[in-house]
Amino acid sequence: MKFTLIYPKWKKLRGQTEFHLPPHGPVVFAATLPRDMEIAFIDENLETIDFNDQADLVGISMMLTSQVKRGWEIADEYRKRGVKAICGGIATMLHSEETSLHADAIFLGEAEGRMEQVLNDFRNNRLRKVYDYLTDFPPIASVGMARRDILKRQLYNYKGIQMVDLFHASRGCRFDCYPCCMSFVGGREFRPRPIKKVVEELTAIDNNRLYIVDNSLSQDMAWEKQLFAEMIPLKKKWCCHPIDDHDEVLDLAAQAGAWFVYQAIFDTSDFIRNRVKRYHDFGIGVEGTILLGLDHHTEDDIHRLIDFLLEIELDVAEFTVLTPFPHTRAFADLHGEGRILSYDWNDYTCDQVVFQPKQMSPERLQDLYDEAWKIFYRDKPQAYRMFELFKRVIDKEMVDGSFQGQQRTQKNRKFGRVKL
Amino acid sequence: MEDLILKLKKEIIDQLQMEGIAPEDLDAEAPLFGEGGVGLDSIDVLELVVLLDRNYGMKIRAPKEEGPKIFYSIKTIAEYILDQQKK
Repeated sequence: MKFTLIYPKWKKLRGQTEFHLPPHGPVVFAATLPRDMEIAFIDENLETIDFNDQADLVGISMMLTSQVKRGWEIADEYRKRGVKAICGGIATMLHSEETSLHADAIFLGEAEGRMEQVLNDFRNNRLRKVYDYLTDFPPIASVGMARRDILKRQLYNYKGIQMVDLFHASRGCRFDCYPCCMSFVGGREFRPRPIKKVVEELTAIDNNRLYIVDNSLSQDMAWEKQLFAEMIPLKKKWCCHPIDDHDEVLDLAAQAGAWFVYQAIFDTSDFIRNRVKRYHDFGIGVEGTILLGLDHHTEDDIHRLIDFLLEIELDVAEFTVLTPFPHTRAFADLHGEGRILSYDWNDYTCDQVVFQPKQMSPERLQDLYDEAWKIFYRDKPQAYRMFELFKRVIDKEMVDGSFQGQQRTQKNRKFGRVKL
Repeated sequence: MEDLILKLKKEIIDQLQMEGIAPEDLDAEAPLFGEGGVGLDSIDVLELVVLLDRNYGMKIRAPKEEGPKIFYSIKTIAEYILDQQKK
């Protein structure tokens, strides 16, 4: 049986250097399929889909809201050819009703231990319209080793540099941040994977550079310390979401190879200033994800925020506009107040203003968003800041002897903008 | 200075494997980064640092402060090399 698994393309963030990381959702999902099943994985951001590929069943894995419309088109195309399509992933959970109009089945929730049943239903021609496990989480220990073997690794190589592999050590998030849908899709209970399994999987990844995609590692300090301590001998280098601001934790993280942290920044508080300083004190870089357009943000605030980022010597900045994704508190507020201007999910790319801001016009916020990129990268261009961040990891690797150098045979490999 | 700029252009084209580009196609004063300039990326900067070290013995010791000024254009790289050679 041939299972074609597709990751639909989406429009990348305007202003940011284009890059493509090997997707995480599809490889984690693939681990829930029978080992002997033929899986053909297509990352549409980098490959073209052959709709006549003789698939028996098609799976469409969607992480982002900006992927769903393309995902629906793909499902429609296959179904026109008589091939059944099943959709899953975070964005399917956020857009379940609309997605079910385009799919033979939608899978909501986490797939571990559930795919045998789905595949049996498919073989017996009794596929259910909805498999709803949204709040019924499987045991965290049942999360298997992600099937990175389904990836075409050379696609994620840029000029001989292999992009980071994605990895997760936990699920769930006890925080419920205003613009985030994670509490809806993964629940508010922190569910760490057993450290032994985490280390096994990390050891097996044929890449020294990783992106630990957990919502936040700062959820259970005892687990966090144990995780970092166990990671030290692996000599991996990695980026991640926030780490606890605690001397011992930060020291262990640095020893375990923390390269840079992806930190949300939405104000000019001493909390943020100290957070960034503390990471830097431990030799850990910081990429800020700067959210513009919150209700209290005035024009002056946004200008002050950009100056603040330069002042605190943030390494790299990624600017985004508040985007009210379904099943977030932001959506509930803005939708409830009639302030959402577009429900076209292709506009939900985080670089377009899709709501009526409180303190200015949508057009003015859009202009400020573009200005933010220009001002932050005026004196030190994005390519140079990224070089500095990259140099940071090379220096760490040189120290512990894990540096592997460029793959010369891939030196001419580049990414390009995919036409959408 | 002109000789050094020409030499640098050839070395950069070679190091970065800029196929189909001749030295005269590169404007020595154009910004190396961003649209409208040479359009180098972060990996190219790394290659340039390696090139300066290997061919000129130049260590970019404090890239945070001086880097963006040195790597503004091919001309500024040439000026930096000459300046270092005088020291």
